[in-house]
Amino acid sequence: MVKIRRAYEVLFLGLFLFFLFITDLRYLKGWPVSLFLEATPLVALATALTTHTIYRNLVWGLVVIAITMMLGRVWCNWMCPFGIMHHFFGWIGNRRNTKQMIEVNRYRKIYAIKYYILAAMIAMAGLWIIPAALASPRLILKAYKEHPESQGGFRFGEAVVGLFLIAAIAYGLIRLYDLASRWLKLGVINERSRKIATGILGIALFGGLLAAGPGQVFDAVGSGFAQAAEQNKGNDTSTLQIGLLDPIALTVRSMTTSVLPTVHMATEGVYTEPREYWQAWVVGLIFFGFLIANWYIPRFFCRVVCPLGALLGVFSRFALWRIDRDPVRCTDCDLCLKSCEGASDPHTDLRKSECFVCLNCIEDCPHDALQFRFLPRKASEVTLPAVGRRQMLLAGAFGLLFFPMTRKSGGVRKNWSKATIRPPGSVEEDEFLRRCIKCDQCIRVCPTNVLQPAVFESGLEGLWTPIMISKMGWCELNCTLCSQVCPTGAIREISIAEKLGVGPFESKGPIKTGTAFYNQGRCLPWAMDTECVVCEEVCPVSPKAIFTRNVEIVDRWGATLHLKRPFIDAEKCIGCGICEHECPVKDDPAVYVTAIGETRSKTRSLLLSLVEDDAQDLVSV
Amino acid sequence: MSEKLTRTQQKNLERLGGVNPADQSFSRRQFVNQVGGFGLVAGGAVGAGLLLKDKWGMEGVKPPPPVKLKDYSVQISPSRPNMVVVRSPSLVTENFASKELETIAREEQALRMVKAAMGEMSEHGVKHFITRGDVVVIKPNVAFDKNPDLGATTSPDTVSAVVKLCLANGARKVIVCDNPINNPEGCFFKTKVGDAALRAGAELMMPQSSYFEPLYVGGETITGTWNMFYRPFREATKVIGISPVKDHNLCKATVTLKNWYGLLGNPRAQFHQNIHGIISDFALMMKPTLVIADGRKLLMRNGPTGGSLNDVKKSDTIVVGTDSVSVDSWCITRLLEKQRHDIIYLDKVIKRGLGADWRPQYLREISV
Repeated sequence: MVKIRRAYEVLFLGLFLFFLFITDLRYLKGWPVSLFLEATPLVALATALTTHTIYRNLVWGLVVIAITMMLGRVWCNWMCPFGIMHHFFGWIGNRRNTKQMIEVNRYRKIYAIKYYILAAMIAMAGLWIIPAALASPRLILKAYKEHPESQGGFRFGEAVVGLFLIAAIAYGLIRLYDLASRWLKLGVINERSRKIATGILGIALFGGLLAAGPGQVFDAVGSGFAQAAEQNKGNDTSTLQIGLLDPIALTVRSMTTSVLPTVHMATEGVYTEPREYWQAWVVGLIFFGFLIANWYIPRFFCRVVCPLGALLGVFSRFALWRIDRDPVRCTDCDLCLKSCEGASDPHTDLRKSECFVCLNCIEDCPHDALQFRFLPRKASEVTLPAVGRRQMLLAGAFGLLFFPMTRKSGGVRKNWSKATIRPPGSVEEDEFLRRCIKCDQCIRVCPTNVLQPAVFESGLEGLWTPIMISKMGWCELNCTLCSQVCPTGAIREISIAEKLGVGPFESKGPIKTGTAFYNQGRCLPWAMDTECVVCEEVCPVSPKAIFTRNVEIVDRWGATLHLKRPFIDAEKCIGCGICEHECPVKDDPAVYVTAIGETRSKTRSLLLSLVEDDAQDLVSV
Repeated sequence: MSEKLTRTQQKNLERLGGVNPADQSFSRRQFVNQVGGFGLVAGGAVGAGLLLKDKWGMEGVKPPPPVKLKDYSVQISPSRPNMVVVRSPSLVTENFASKELETIAREEQALRMVKAAMGEMSEHGVKHFITRGDVVVIKPNVAFDKNPDLGATTSPDTVSAVVKLCLANGARKVIVCDNPINNPEGCFFKTKVGDAALRAGAELMMPQSSYFEPLYVGGETITGTWNMFYRPFREATKVIGISPVKDHNLCKATVTLKNWYGLLGNPRAQFHQNIHGIISDFALMMKPTLVIADGRKLLMRNGPTGGSLNDVKKSDTIVVGTDSVSVDSWCITRLLEKQRHDIIYLDKVIKRGLGADWRPQYLREISV
């Protein structure tokens, strides 16, 4: 069994590295290179929370969830490339004797931290639930009023629905108080009065439901909640941060921005031209830090940090198969702990949520006391993750508070940076931050190196999201690769025709990522009486966005010179940045692109003549 | 247990009472519970996922359906004027013992003037325009946080007079709203319009980001939708615009038509790239019940902000009408002393068929 698992590990890591390697203009073809990113259920779940949809191939995550609910966290030790790397690194670094290995693989309380990380991140993604819940009673009432069967001024019905809602809320409050009193050791409500109160409420609920018409009420509740969710989804109400620690996003990001460029330096075999990524050493350091951590605590990332592992840990409670210990054959030698990857206590009642199903314990048991069994006894397992309620609440509250703190530090609505030049096809910034998982797959595929991991250009939330830095490269005119590999639709898939604004997109015009400006104090024909206009030459749009005006000047020695001085036609400029990249004034180019005028957002537009009806903007894909 | 057990294992077996629990197979109940639970939850998760699946890819960023403004206008009899110029002798500050008394007198004067104007436009007077149960939105121009005497904003007494007229004639609610250029609280406070509206019994609505919705205009400058301060119009049944009469640096004059600019959301500064186009779009966007140009104070120069009493000219006129274009045209030529055809947006609106210039037969001039 362990051999089969190793084969799978080699297969999946190989597949991952293969996809990583071919995420390149030369080899891409039709390969599903974003498959691993699309298969992590954490991305599916978190983007479902932030966008209320599951973007295209993210449904693969549901398959992984279904497998987990059947077999447990097999993902973690059979499929996850980061998990497999940790397994490998732990094996390399292992200098312990058997006794030490047993001790280091016992369950520790810190292994619950990943659940708190998950809770905080999910809370950030679901902050909209609070305003939606506050708005829902009004919308439910409205939906009920507008329901075709309650038309005709039937005021009584509304009153009943109102009563019904109040009763439901009151009942919820009583239940909440019950829970709170148990946790916080408040005074318990007198049992009899509680019974009477809930009894009355129950009758009110039931009677109200009958009087108001159950069908109408259910319709109204459904559509009211849906409307509330829809209305409160946008406008700074959620952010997607799972990508910081989602193992696949983290691995792709680290590989893209720091490992591959390093490999290329040694082998010259990865790119045609060497790549540089702005401040990627931080990404690389974190990546290697997690790998080296295995030497001190085996599977440190998987056991302590991984929010995806935590999510799968929650779902593994349903697993139909699991490791089971035979209490008679077991002689309590604890040898099963020797190579236990998940620290899931196979030597006693199995911690189902922690087990990676590596099956090492079966191999290590000298008495055949361990088996991977279908529906073993419920009594011999710890079904749920061992998390503290208080810590969980604290983590959730942290998520709820931390997101507003970062968003309200500026950078998205006000004081947004001129450097947040997003790749073409990107959705509007607020939505972008609700979709981007910072996997940097777009950066991997970008053929010119213009896409770079942002630092704080879009606030703390936008860390490692893609921006274009024109000194590094330029946006190739006939290229939409980044939009094709984006797993979450932060960069929606666009065609060349849409990008250029030709054919069916003629009336909409091209997608603009920003606008170029001249710094005339540094431009050769403007400031130094010298011919140049490289910028005009490379400007790829037709007619060119850079045009020149001929001037006749007298230089300092009295000679007459004829010069072409460049200007920008802001209406034509698409912000590709090739002018900035090619400008001979290399350190601080005399022509430079800033984000203003981008077509993805009305609030960041510049020319009125280009402002489009956004209702039409999206019918294009 | 068939195979031979070690001594430790035998002890284990004894401790467990001779039965190895791990040898027992699962019960039917456990099977149903666990497999059923798995089926339900896995099916639920996959089902919910497929429900949420977005094949198209951009379902999540579809903008909300745009809202539209209703037509708030009220028909008036063809034999009646659609525009009334009311004059009343200018009040002299020195005649009043205190500022409060002057304000009361000014408000009372505005009330009489507007009421008389409405009386000219219909035999039912105010009742023709405001009916029982109406929710009236009043849009003053409080773009700047300036003292009302500087003439850059709508007079607070005119606003409170109109609020009182509406409430006295059965309006259920009056909402006074504007999205000023300067800080909204400061604007409503320093122009005294906020206080006047509240004292007269209106609800004050200041702009909040959630109050803006994409409004479909489909005009020349706003070809599709634009973010608009729509919340007050959700329940509105009547709309009245009350504007000052003043100079403007770019479009030359701002009266009742340009007043609607104050309902637009950001980045509205872009509209200065086609100011005449946007102002003419307002005639398409908003069909108000009434517009009132308060010409008792005129900002003759240095508009639209003003800032000096030397720029302000005292006058004695309030113009009430149903068509912004004719009211603006009259005010600009007769009160601001500007050339009619210098005002490009008026020509534009008329050319687009969205309004008509004033005509003597539809104009009445009265004094109260």
